[in-house]
Amino acid sequence: MHLSNSILTWIAAILTIGIFSFLWKDNPFYKFCEHLFVGVSVGYSISLTWYNAVYPDLFNPLFLQPFSAVSLGRKLLLVIPLILGLCYFCRFIPKVSWLIRFPMAFVLGWASGVAIPAYFQTNILKQMQGTFLTPGIFSRWDVLLWAIISFIGVICSVFYFFFSKEHKGALKVASETGIVFLMVGFGASFGYTVMARMSLLIGRFQFILGDWLGVIK
Amino acid sequence: MKFFQYLLKIDRRIIYIVMGILVMLPLIKPLGLGVTSGPRATALFDAIDALPAGKTILISVDFDPSSMPELYPMLAGVMRHAFAKDLKVLLCGLWVTGVGLADKAVTEIPPEYGKKYGEDVVYLGWKAGVDAVILGMGENIKNVFPADYQGHPLDSLPMMREVQRLRDIPIAFAISAGTPGYQDWLLFAQSRYGMKVGAGLTAVSAADAYPYLQSGQLTGLLAGMKGGAEYEVMVQKKGYSRAYMPAVAAMDSQSLAHVVIMILVIVGNIAYFATRKRGA
Repeated sequence: MHLSNSILTWIAAILTIGIFSFLWKDNPFYKFCEHLFVGVSVGYSISLTWYNAVYPDLFNPLFLQPFSAVSLGRKLLLVIPLILGLCYFCRFIPKVSWLIRFPMAFVLGWASGVAIPAYFQTNILKQMQGTFLTPGIFSRWDVLLWAIISFIGVICSVFYFFFSKEHKGALKVASETGIVFLMVGFGASFGYTVMARMSLLIGRFQFILGDWLGVIK
Repeated sequence: MKFFQYLLKIDRRIIYIVMGILVMLPLIKPLGLGVTSGPRATALFDAIDALPAGKTILISVDFDPSSMPELYPMLAGVMRHAFAKDLKVLLCGLWVTGVGLADKAVTEIPPEYGKKYGEDVVYLGWKAGVDAVILGMGENIKNVFPADYQGHPLDSLPMMREVQRLRDIPIAFAISAGTPGYQDWLLFAQSRYGMKVGAGLTAVSAADAYPYLQSGQLTGLLAGMKGGAEYEVMVQKKGYSRAYMPAVAAMDSQSLAHVVIMILVIVGNIAYFATRKRGA
């Protein structure tokens, strides 16, 4: 056992124990750790956003750099995002809160224009094709079998969400088969979620036993 | 029946304590259950392994410290693999809270292989505007990142003379804890620039990525801490690294915890149905 002599490790370890104390019951120490975490996270994000984006890309070239380094044209161009950005803060002033619509309209319009064709290509066309025509489908029998199973799964699951006709006869069989596939999907997601939560717990124990207490490597 | 009723009323804190002990013990005294690499992790490993020396891979660090136990081993594993193969590594990030983690990896891992910053590895840092960042990098990386994370102009870094845009990079590995992440790299880098994309994901989001894997859009997938462990094992088996493997070390605890949860789910359901039948 070799206790850490780093003050930062000790702070992290004590805060970890503080958060874990909620497992026993809610308490002021946990509340303190929780609020500290929220505050630090927001402060960290704001400072990084300022130093990595706002300052180098907007504030510095617009207000600090001379015209010899940044042309008048570029400075004028930078005024547009500055105004659009400031419009977001108008939300806090009821009289001019409607101004927020301008940056929102710009962002929505730009993002939709850029994303829709790419989204259609990646998530619809390629996925429809990949429902059956997977790479190497005819090279091995097991790949072909899984492709057929996933094709049936997709069709039956879609039938489950087909509400224009009453689920009777063949439609009932298809939609009930779809439920089986959906349940398998939910089960897989839950299994992965358990694995994720356990990983985070193990990560904390590795920190406590390793970095703090020095019991493990 | 009383036994089943007792099971259903058991204090949750007892379960927490049992789980805590079972997770902790294998960390102190490993069971040596071993880790085998699956086809998804192997596909990513093979894709990187097949690249000729001197090529550059892109790693997008899209996670924050809360996902570090799951995702940092993947970042370290892929970087070690790349350096052992004499590949160059370009890092960037779509998550502002991930900049410190990427910086840690860039500081700690290249010296293990005698690699120099600027020649073998460059960290671009983070920029706001996910879609615009990826699309901009597709046209010209310097337009989006005129300087790297440390403030060096990209023109002054030898590695960046050969890497002008995304088409100069054969594969991107997106390590994502959510959105933005690998889907944005698929949407913009792959669909527009034809870039190969591999993903390293938290286990929570891994199930959503399987359709992309099946359709061939994803080159490989590392899912959760297990994915990181699989990659660590492959890197070590090939003799590319002798470094400590945190994800592999955690796998015994993970397996034991899964066994406990499976037992609890089965016993809990049996107890529930047994007591319900009696009540009815």
